[in-house]
Amino acid sequence: MRRLHVSLLLVLGILFASPDISQAIPAFARKYGFNCNMCHTVFAKLNDFGQRVRDNGYQMPGQEGREKNVFQTAPPVALRTSTGLIVAHAVSEKGTTSGFRLSGLDLLAAGVMHRNISFLMIYTPRIDEPSADYTGNTDGSNPGQPGALESANIIFSNLAGGGLNIRLGRFEPGYHAFSSKRSIYLLQPYEVYAFTTPNNSFVFDDNQIGLEVTGHFRHGFKYAAGVINGTGASPDNNNAKDFYAGFFKTFGRGDGQSAGQRVGAFAYYGWQPTKLDSLYVGPSGEADGKANMNFYRVGCDLSCNWNRFNLMGMLAYGVDDKALNDLDSSLDYTFSGGFARLDWTALYNNRLVASIMYNWVNAPCYDSERDISAFTGLLRYYLGDWTAVNVALHGEYTYRETGHDNPYREHNLAALIDFAF
Amino acid sequence: MRSRWFLITWLLAAPVILVAGVQGEEPLTPITSVGIHSLGPVPLDNLAPPAVPPGNPQTSDKILLGKKLYFDTRLSRDNTISCATCHDPAKGWSDAGPTSKGIKDQLGGRRSPPVSNAAYNLLQFWDGRAPSLEEQAKGPIENPVEMGNTHTEMLRTVSDIPGYVDEMEKVFGTRKVTIDHVAQAIAAFERTVVTTDSPFDRFIRGDSEALTPMEKRGLEIFNGKGHCSSCHWGGYFSDGRFHNLGIEPLDPSKPDSGRHNVTKHPKDVGAFKTPTVRDAALRAPYMHTGREGTLEDVVRLYDRGGGLDDANLDALMVPLGLSKDEIQALVAFMTRAMTSTNPEVANVKPVPQSELPK
Repeated sequence: MRRLHVSLLLVLGILFASPDISQAIPAFARKYGFNCNMCHTVFAKLNDFGQRVRDNGYQMPGQEGREKNVFQTAPPVALRTSTGLIVAHAVSEKGTTSGFRLSGLDLLAAGVMHRNISFLMIYTPRIDEPSADYTGNTDGSNPGQPGALESANIIFSNLAGGGLNIRLGRFEPGYHAFSSKRSIYLLQPYEVYAFTTPNNSFVFDDNQIGLEVTGHFRHGFKYAAGVINGTGASPDNNNAKDFYAGFFKTFGRGDGQSAGQRVGAFAYYGWQPTKLDSLYVGPSGEADGKANMNFYRVGCDLSCNWNRFNLMGMLAYGVDDKALNDLDSSLDYTFSGGFARLDWTALYNNRLVASIMYNWVNAPCYDSERDISAFTGLLRYYLGDWTAVNVALHGEYTYRETGHDNPYREHNLAALIDFAF
Repeated sequence: MRSRWFLITWLLAAPVILVAGVQGEEPLTPITSVGIHSLGPVPLDNLAPPAVPPGNPQTSDKILLGKKLYFDTRLSRDNTISCATCHDPAKGWSDAGPTSKGIKDQLGGRRSPPVSNAAYNLLQFWDGRAPSLEEQAKGPIENPVEMGNTHTEMLRTVSDIPGYVDEMEKVFGTRKVTIDHVAQAIAAFERTVVTTDSPFDRFIRGDSEALTPMEKRGLEIFNGKGHCSSCHWGGYFSDGRFHNLGIEPLDPSKPDSGRHNVTKHPKDVGAFKTPTVRDAALRAPYMHTGREGTLEDVVRLYDRGGGLDDANLDALMVPLGLSKDEIQALVAFMTRAMTSTNPEVANVKPVPQSELPK
């Protein structure tokens, strides 16, 4: 029974997290009068064109200063949510749960304020669903979706051609070759992105607060490097900053999203305090955590395009200092993982997309209960591809095993409608 | 502590300083100088009436005079070439191509741009070297491979034709024929060549049956996966800007620098103005070289992500991954749905030489 609850919690947790899983910005489509497929292979996955627009600070490449800014257009605000039926079945417990759910709401705003100065903001308002959130109080004090400023950043573009751009604020770090925010999977995350280690508040795909520099060059080379708190939306918990860098190279025309073949590598180096007592808390909530110990993540990624297929893959390896490992303090906590995913688009204007994905995480042997293996299949049909409006019928199935010796097995099935305007 | 705050202050200030510096280095001329209507992309739409410059108001007499001059071969050095020779109403206001033949059968280096809807161009010619229709009209007269004349010689010819002198006096109030008046009259006529009644226009105005299902799919792709409207936007289906598509030059030993000839800016090497898609089906072949024989050829060029591997290839050029059906839908949209049936424009009858002023 406990595992059934764990399963339900997991599904709900993922669902509640889904506003953070994916984003698209219909405000841009509205501004330009484009269909969503101008920038998305399939909403919300960016195509090469969309990637270049994003890399260029949400400006059309080569048209900087020649397009309308936020003061010359309708308010650049967009909304996104998804709703539908979720069914979860735990194999060993033979327990099944099902229910209609609303995944939450994204309020997005983005635009160009001035030539080469743009912004992105995503706010997820608090949504009270006390009756559905059985883990908390039923008086609304434990909301189904807490309010959060998921993204709020300003971008200075083309400081030295495309070779230097600066993003400041809370943003999705550029070391991600594959954005979890713009994934077409609504329930299944990239497991290695979501995997957390003991006594370490770092989450690989959290949006982070800090400063990032990026660059893109004509011969297909791109980089991203940043200095961030490493604590997601929370105030920094120490005075040591985390650093990351990612390098990507595309072969052939395109950006590796929908054309061209792309390879990449990344590294993240961070610090985590081991002494959280007697903290000094700054006026914005920052703490001066002591005895900071390091951790790092490294990995590589690949995106291959052929015809209407896009094969993506990523390998990641993580190490936390043994001082952070309360499971076995004599050893560094090490893990590895990755995913392989194949997308296929069909029908005109990519109305239909099918995708399969395999995720895995190998935790250390003494923590093998956290090993993850997950197979996911997805089918997504877009009712139309209208200007700045997108409605997708979304079916997603996952078979997931957690643990090594006595794995916990579950089936998750979702039939949702994902819409944004 | 002081040094840390100093560092933080500079980290915050540096982007602003850099942006300001970069903007100072690259003045946006001349496109942005024409005003907010050049800011885009904006949604695909009907064409609004073209702007008329204050210095050259439209009058029926002036338009008629301009039409006669447009069809008059006597403006050329050997009386063989008129504006209409290369901008023929029967050929979509262009010519058979690939590039145009001027006097003595000399071949020009670029495809003849259409006169239809040219009033909406922010800049004229493939390289945008003329800021108005009036200025454009002066160019071919003295181009040695087009009309091969001089302005002086052409004005002498026109001044010797009493019928023209009479009409000039009626329109401009003077019997003295000037190059500006000739250009203004031709430009006034060209501003009437506006095509506004395509099936697409009727569809936008609310006639949901104006497009066939395949054309509707084509429109969807045009404005989506095909990325067409990233440059072919607005009512004019053109951004009026300049892009390098990697088009193979007619003579590889003599590459055409395009817009770079005008601006001398390295970014403009090999860049040419975006032509309108309106009535495109009437004026094959395509591109500034006329190398692409059909609209399908054009779509396939874009589907490959452009032509040659040019170092200056436009960043908007990416392979599209279009299927055969999607290509056909796009071509269907551009072929019938974008072809206007305005009777007054589509069937403009040339002025016979016998009816020209004498």
